[in-house]
Amino acid sequence: MKIISNLLEDIDGIRIYYIIGLLIFVTLFIVISIRTWKMPKQDAEKIKNSILNDHETDNNTDR
Amino acid sequence: MENQRFYYDNKIVKLFIMATLVWGIVGVIVGVLIALQLAMPVFNLGLEFTTFGRLRPLHTNAIIFAFVGNAIYAGVYYSMQKLLKTRMFNDTLSQVNFWGWQLIIVLAALSFVFGITTGKEYAELEWPIDILITLVWVAFGANMIGTIIVRRVQHIYAAIWWYLATFLGVAILHVVNSFEIPVSLLKSYPIYAGAQDAVVQWWYGHNAVAFFLTTPFLGLMYYYLPKAANRPIYSYKLSIIHFWSLIFLYMWAGPHHLLYQALPEWAQALGVTFSIMLIAPSWGGMINGLLTLRGAWDRVRDSAALKFLVVGVTAYGMSTFEGPMMSLKSVNQITHFTDWTIGHVHIAAMGWNGGIVFGMFYWLVPKLFRTKLFSEKLANIHFWVSTLAILLYAIPMYWSAVTQWLMLREYTPEGFLAYPNFIETLTQILPMYFIRALGGTLFLVGFVIMMYNLFKTMAAGTCESNEAAEAPALVSEGARNPDAETVHRWLERKGVLFSIFAFVALAIGGAAEIIPMIFIKSNIPTIESVKPYTPLELAGRDLYIKEGCYTCHSQMVRPFRWETDRYGEYSKIGEFVYDHPFQWGSRRTGPDLARAGVMGGPMYKNAAWHYNHFMDPQKMNEQSIMPKYPWLATKEIDMDIIPAKIRTMQTLGVPYPEGYDQQAVGDLLQQAQLISDDLKASGIELAPTKQMIAMVAYMHKLGKDIVPAPAPADTAKTTELKEITLLTSPEDLAAAKTIFTTVCAVCHGPEGNGIPPAFPSLTDNVWIKGNSPAQVYHSIAEGNIAKGMVAYKTQYSEKQITQLTSYVLTVLNKK
Repeated sequence: MKIISNLLEDIDGIRIYYIIGLLIFVTLFIVISIRTWKMPKQDAEKIKNSILNDHETDNNTDR
Repeated sequence: MENQRFYYDNKIVKLFIMATLVWGIVGVIVGVLIALQLAMPVFNLGLEFTTFGRLRPLHTNAIIFAFVGNAIYAGVYYSMQKLLKTRMFNDTLSQVNFWGWQLIIVLAALSFVFGITTGKEYAELEWPIDILITLVWVAFGANMIGTIIVRRVQHIYAAIWWYLATFLGVAILHVVNSFEIPVSLLKSYPIYAGAQDAVVQWWYGHNAVAFFLTTPFLGLMYYYLPKAANRPIYSYKLSIIHFWSLIFLYMWAGPHHLLYQALPEWAQALGVTFSIMLIAPSWGGMINGLLTLRGAWDRVRDSAALKFLVVGVTAYGMSTFEGPMMSLKSVNQITHFTDWTIGHVHIAAMGWNGGIVFGMFYWLVPKLFRTKLFSEKLANIHFWVSTLAILLYAIPMYWSAVTQWLMLREYTPEGFLAYPNFIETLTQILPMYFIRALGGTLFLVGFVIMMYNLFKTMAAGTCESNEAAEAPALVSEGARNPDAETVHRWLERKGVLFSIFAFVALAIGGAAEIIPMIFIKSNIPTIESVKPYTPLELAGRDLYIKEGCYTCHSQMVRPFRWETDRYGEYSKIGEFVYDHPFQWGSRRTGPDLARAGVMGGPMYKNAAWHYNHFMDPQKMNEQSIMPKYPWLATKEIDMDIIPAKIRTMQTLGVPYPEGYDQQAVGDLLQQAQLISDDLKASGIELAPTKQMIAMVAYMHKLGKDIVPAPAPADTAKTTELKEITLLTSPEDLAAAKTIFTTVCAVCHGPEGNGIPPAFPSLTDNVWIKGNSPAQVYHSIAEGNIAKGMVAYKTQYSEKQITQLTSYVLTVLNKK
């Protein structure tokens, strides 16, 4: 393809993309999981319930 | 804190709801029509505007972008305002979003009917509409981010994360996949070619599913399911983890659409790995949805809205388990190119997307119009009709897929394909197509019931266009207090920063998948013998794209024995370097065409055959379900655009000589004359400027550069005549008749009368190569490659050919 320059010519070392990608994912996953786990329960409860207490005129909440 | 007064914009929500209903029913009606077309080709209506190839993109785009798209906007515009306690950021942007999107839909519908298409699935729209989509999408995103900025609630609820991911994901996908160079106002070529185009396209296709059909619906689920059930979402912590995992992983999985195809092994392996990993975050969403209803299942019994939401979430769980399974290579060889994929996507579209939209509307419309639903009973009827429809749709598709796969790979004890002719497998699954059409019709009935119910509801109530509300202004909490706030909690109140993080998560997967394919040269080993398309072949290829042939025919022979025996040499990555766009296809309703131009191969047909077949496929084989294309014989090739096409191809790097654009039309006419002469020799008068000529040229190009034509000496070489004894028992003749009517009748006619002079009669006394049993046996076994007759010794056993010889001589020729 003329329109795109040949930045990389070779396939050697292609695996580095996936190793880096997977490492980023695994690291973030672990960090986010731990941080989320440690989040105070009442905080989560408050957020969860916030969308239900929006003071709407509930003429048909049972639906 | 003093309350601020503001007004919710309910009118825009109402508009989007109306648009969803109107386009939804159009999309479903077109769906039923194309289902009927596959069951009975007469429903192609004999018009070029209504063939399956043109209406299938209309159906998919109408459902995805018109029905689902408008439903997303309706759901987002309502829930964002409520969640953030503010009016949408800018009314003008809302209007641009609404009217712009409807304009796109109308333009899209028109362009599909007129055959204006890029030939890339779910991205078929041409470049001017692509630009329009970009502008309207940016208006949507700006409106959304603006609303987040002017909000009156500190915390940004989970539903909105999904909306943001949707905006960002679709923006990246649409832009990257739509790089194309215009040839004219209505025609462009993508800058990617062959395998690169395939990777980019299926990265887009796969993630269009992710970011248009999944993430916005998870967002809707996070708002409307708790609202309809009047219970908080099961786990807020789970929502954080599955959000980030899902948006990160989805972008990598695209190549699972191209398994066993002409793609580097590493790309296929990558797609499979990430597809399997995707099960976890997907099921995180399903579990969070279903467990929200724990202890509230009694409500599901009474509420149709909840029933639809539950079925939606369940269908999501099924599809997101099935999808990764389908990306395992051993499973994929069954599901790819068969109806399995069609069943899979309809479980998702009818169950998950349909379920969430219907459930949302049954809750939202009464709310918006300040009244009760007109009839809960009708809504329940809709639910049951719709659920039954999904089953009636999906089960026949799975059945058909397995049946066809088993037939395609079956061998006789002699080592020949049991069903060498593709149409035998199609005829077998045709009953399934009738049941599928019934399923689709039932779904349509349910949809009509819902429209009636919702319109009655709307008529009974009133929608306040600007609904007054009050909330205290937002006071910024400022910097993060590490003791009181986790990073994610802090991030949840930083809309723009949150968007940037989401963008990075999305971009990593996209970059890792696409950049190596585009930039690394050794991914595309070049094949010396592969030549660019001649101007005539290029014109034919563009007609192939215009008529949507790729919706039924693949151009990709996978490396399985049962495919190479049936079609010819397997496809190689270097074959496609000049293919802007690639045309590998995704479903074989007809046979693969990658080797249609290989003379002496099992797929080769001569010009006269193609002419007759395009004019009336059912005349050639009454079991065929292909539409007729008689207009190809009357419409002219557009010569004016040829030089521009050549120049565009040159810009893309196709090695036509300098200044070839001026020579191209002359070359085109020269090549066309040869085909016209060839047809004339078969008794068919067709001017060289007709579109049919270009189509034939393109068919004869397919695979030609890979497999050299047999030298004239080879075709003339006669093997020893083999003495045979005719087999005239009723069983033998019956077996022969079966083969004759499915294979031989295509050219020689069911009674053996042929279509002289192109296809000789077998009933008269004129024989090109003699009519002794040995000579007829030889004609069948060795074929007549120059005239387009295949050497059947590669497809049938000696006994079968002897039976055929006997049938021809004793039954047809009554010797």
